[in-house]
Amino acid sequence: MKSQSSLLSIQGLAVSAGGRQLLTGVDLEIARKERVALFGPSGCGKTTLLRAVAGLVDADAGTVAFGGQSPEALGWPAFRRRVTYVEQRAMMLDATVEENLRRPFGYRGREKTYPADEALNLFKALLLNGGTPRKQARNLSEGEAQRLSLIRALLTEPCVLLLDEPTAALDEKSAGAVGELLVRWTDEHGAAALVVSHDRERARLWSTREFDLTPHLAQGAGNAEASHG
Amino acid sequence: MGEGHAIVLGIPDLAVAALLVAVPGLISFALSLGLEKRLLWASVRTVAQLMLIGFVLGWVFGLEAAAAVVGLGLIMTWVAGRAAVERSSRFFKGIHHRAYASLVVSAFVTTAMVTAVIVGVDPWYEARYVIPILGMVLGNSLTGLSLCVDTLLEAFSERRREVEMELALGATKWEAARPALREAVRRGMIPIINSMMVVGLVSLPGMMTGQIIEGADPMNAVRYQIVVMFMIAASTSIACILMTLLVYRRLFNARHQLLSHLIKKRLN
Repeated sequence: MKSQSSLLSIQGLAVSAGGRQLLTGVDLEIARKERVALFGPSGCGKTTLLRAVAGLVDADAGTVAFGGQSPEALGWPAFRRRVTYVEQRAMMLDATVEENLRRPFGYRGREKTYPADEALNLFKALLLNGGTPRKQARNLSEGEAQRLSLIRALLTEPCVLLLDEPTAALDEKSAGAVGELLVRWTDEHGAAALVVSHDRERARLWSTREFDLTPHLAQGAGNAEASHG
Repeated sequence: MGEGHAIVLGIPDLAVAALLVAVPGLISFALSLGLEKRLLWASVRTVAQLMLIGFVLGWVFGLEAAAAVVGLGLIMTWVAGRAAVERSSRFFKGIHHRAYASLVVSAFVTTAMVTAVIVGVDPWYEARYVIPILGMVLGNSLTGLSLCVDTLLEAFSERRREVEMELALGATKWEAARPALREAVRRGMIPIINSMMVVGLVSLPGMMTGQIIEGADPMNAVRYQIVVMFMIAASTSIACILMTLLVYRRLFNARHQLLSHLIKKRLN
């Protein structure tokens, strides 16, 4: 019954990086409107775990599923349109902000057109200037770029967000705005979020649940800085 | 074509020509450029390689056998494929075969088109036509191909995050790779387009020069050169497109992942 209501299902996932085992046996079910804060010692493989869930790297073992369907059955691009990973260090294409935001609407299988009004709402919600779309994306500050990469993902209306430290480059005020938006957006869209975080205090403001990776550390993992944090 | 009006060069003439290479050697020495050794090695190689191909050509021409012409063509292509890949600062395991396959298809198809259809060589494997034309196609395609490979591998290693960002947002591997593939083909074709722009104005190509020295009618030499330019353009673009597709197939898997870890940087 559990898997029926769950949006994202992670079962027995094990990941490694650079030939080193990081995490093993991660089981996690996430339902609609859930926001799970993912904790763990630094270098334990949180980023690698999110990348493996999104299928950008292979897991050593385990499966992921969206609404009971495997990524192979859905097709990986279709799976990633529903379960979307947003990197910690925002990656912007060498183009204007608006071209960056429009980019995913050019992919095959997207019926929707670019929602310009929704983009403006999200700009406001994340304390970004309304003139930002015309800026060159590579000239943005790190904080602006990080918020825009979240907006770029939100505009495509994924069902599950995989966010890697989405407030790492942000000041107090913007970080608060991201938390508030995350709550409102997931509730309104019936979506879910799995968010890597290191700040338990702040995570309490937006998360519905915490998930600690410490019990899943592979032997010898943790503390030593892995390349992907 | 000409009737062999060219003045025959003897060994003493080559010795005098070697004095020309002494000029860059002296300059390198005077300015401490440290190129003397490499220049000497390059000169020795030039002499040795050309002498060798002179013998081989004489031998193959004498055989008048299709297998010998095709065999020599395959060897030349293999060397060109290796050279194209080895100029690039990055590589992955199996890249040589792919460069070879791209060049075999592109160079053989265009050479056959020119010798068999346009020039109408009879028999089709007449070495005097086929080998020099294939050589020109290869020499020029390999310049474009090496630029293409370099661009492609740089994009898929240095700009890995860009590609993965698009994949994460639901792009197919083809959609995520396309900007890099297009850029690589474009870069590969720039040299031939540039030389088409200035041919005859700045440079008189080697083949045309050779024919004119041989005493051929300049207009006939020009018509040959036009064919050659078009042929090189076709072959370079086909080689670049085939190569980008083969590299793309190797560096992305069925799970729409970019396998950038396969790309290695060449030392030195």
